[in-house]
Amino acid sequence: MAFSFFGILAVLLETIRPWLGLIVTVLAVDIVLTAWLWASRRSWSSARRPALLAGALVGVVTFFLAPWLTSARFSDLSGLLDWLSIVGGSVAVALLVAILLWPLMTALFGKRDRT
Amino acid sequence: MSLDSRKASNLSRKDSTARIDDGRRRLLKAAGLGGALAAVAGGTLLSAPTSAMQTRARIVIVGAGAAGIAAANRLARGLDGAAITIIDRRQRHLYQPGLTLVATGIWKPGKVVDRNDRYLPQSVNWIQDHVAEFDPEANRVVTTAGRVVPYDYLLVTTGLKIDFDAIEGMSPELIGRESIGCVYDNPEHAERTWQMIDQYTAAGGVGLFTRGPGGIKCAGAPLKVTMLTEDIARQRSTRRSLEMVYNSPGAGLFSQPDTNEFLKQEFPERDIAINWHHRLKGIEPEAHRATFATPEGDVRIDYDFIHVVPPMRAPDALGNSPLAWQEGGFADDGNWMEVDQFSMRHQRYGNVFGAGDCVGTPIGKTAASVKAQVPVAVDNMINTIRDRETVARYDGYTSCPLITGRGRGILVEFDYALNMVPSFPFISPYREHWVPWVMKDRMLQPAYNAMLRGRI
Ligand SMILES: Cc1cc2nc3c(=O)[nH]c(=O)nc-3n(C[C@H](O)[C@H](O)[C@H](O)COP(=O)(O)OP(=O)(O)OC[C@H]3O[C@@H](n4cnc5c(N)ncnc54)[C@H](O)[C@@H]3O)c2cc1C
Repeated sequence: MAFSFFGILAVLLETIRPWLGLIVTVLAVDIVLTAWLWASRRSWSSARRPALLAGALVGVVTFFLAPWLTSARFSDLSGLLDWLSIVGGSVAVALLVAILLWPLMTALFGKRDRT
Repeated sequence: MSLDSRKASNLSRKDSTARIDDGRRRLLKAAGLGGALAAVAGGTLLSAPTSAMQTRARIVIVGAGAAGIAAANRLARGLDGAAITIIDRRQRHLYQPGLTLVATGIWKPGKVVDRNDRYLPQSVNWIQDHVAEFDPEANRVVTTAGRVVPYDYLLVTTGLKIDFDAIEGMSPELIGRESIGCVYDNPEHAERTWQMIDQYTAAGGVGLFTRGPGGIKCAGAPLKVTMLTEDIARQRSTRRSLEMVYNSPGAGLFSQPDTNEFLKQEFPERDIAINWHHRLKGIEPEAHRATFATPEGDVRIDYDFIHVVPPMRAPDALGNSPLAWQEGGFADDGNWMEVDQFSMRHQRYGNVFGAGDCVGTPIGKTAASVKAQVPVAVDNMINTIRDRETVARYDGYTSCPLITGRGRGILVEFDYALNMVPSFPFISPYREHWVPWVMKDRMLQPAYNAMLRGRI
């Protein structure tokens, strides 16, 4: 491998360091919610759609805001590399948000399993 | 603007990059790939397994900048029982690559200011003073307070001195006054430079952009300031009232030939005139007049804004010591420290190593070079302590995210042979993109911090 796995983790840690508290809180809430939902036998599948919808919404907003968030404009994007990056990044954000919101959506919209 | 077609053949010879230690390019690779892996990484930092070597060696590092701190972390992890001392009176740490963004109004100055103690390992003894004398014959350094610090092994990472005195009439206090800017000094002066650029791009007039001769740190910075100023004026619709002139002290704009060609086309297209062989020699601040030394004699030009880039050289204590090159190009240029350009080891004092801006090597006064040099210097020092051969090699890797405007840039990476060595084959080093801009704006500072911690 041409790059070090540990090196990438280290850069990642430095990138998220300012938001580490927030990230740990969100993950903790998700874990507690997930445990409670499992214990109370909620159906996860019924909340998949709203979670994906919320993720998609955030993904679309990310797509349109990404240039502005990086002090750039859409006219600065040039070529496949830039467009793939912005689309790929927005899809990644959408999926991440959907996954993180899934437990919350299950708590709000999930029906009880009959089994 | 694309030079892709002309450069396609060049890319094929980039196979030679296989020769290059991949670790050299991890700074950029990790920066780029870091974002993509955010989702899976969690927050856990794992350390690469290392086996520390037992030693009682006394190691002194002079300079706690990018190279000194990175080396201190690596040595502290690589050695068990060593007495490691770092000497530097400066407590605040500056993320210098961010100064370009501060000086052009994109970042606030606070973003580039940090503290050295957040990065220095606890096991390292920090003497908060400067070294006034290097005495390699006696294996000791002496601080300005007169403290004598003996060593078995020495690593010199003092960075460089910006030689404002070399320009008649110039001093750092003038930055931010009398339409004078300079990106190189510190965040406060970078912010004042932005005030000058802000005024200039609103009011218009003649703008002179300069570059000190010889080896300077981040040789791309004077070019970036020029292009960003031009971009700001265009965004403000004031571009027509600006007459911009870039003054090169030599016959080129950039050492890497392909990038040089790109810039030689780009500047005229953006109506930035170029004066070749124009070295800034003096400045009359009140008269707003600059004097340039040219082959035809001195030339005086009036300005409404001037970006001053002085020549740079090794700090006096180092430059005047036996550790500096005693003759040749690196002695004449800036009294740079003498090292073997591949092993980073001193050629006359075998227990002395150097890294960062202070060393006299053909390329590379950048943080990216620091990233590549420090592991080499540290590995070779550890092997010297072990009494083994010094096998690690620095290939001259350096990098410049050449920002051509707010929101776009070119990721230029090259080595001693001036060959392009792109870390990411899919990012063209010949074409402007948004992605290199995002890397500069968002990813390189975390990568730099990871480098300080000795993790990449
Ligand atoms: C405007 C600007 C833009 C830049 N842009 C980029 C970029 O885009 N990409 C990139 O890779 N690099 C860039 N760089 C270059 C990069 O910041 C430097 O190459 C890097 O910081 C060099 O690290 P260093 O440790 O050698 O020196 P420094 O980080 O300058 O540290 C030197 C340290 O040595 C100390 N010192 C000096 N003399 C003594 C003494 N006698 N005794 C004890 N201590 C001493 C100083 O106090 C200082 O703390 C830029 C630099 C500037 C100024």
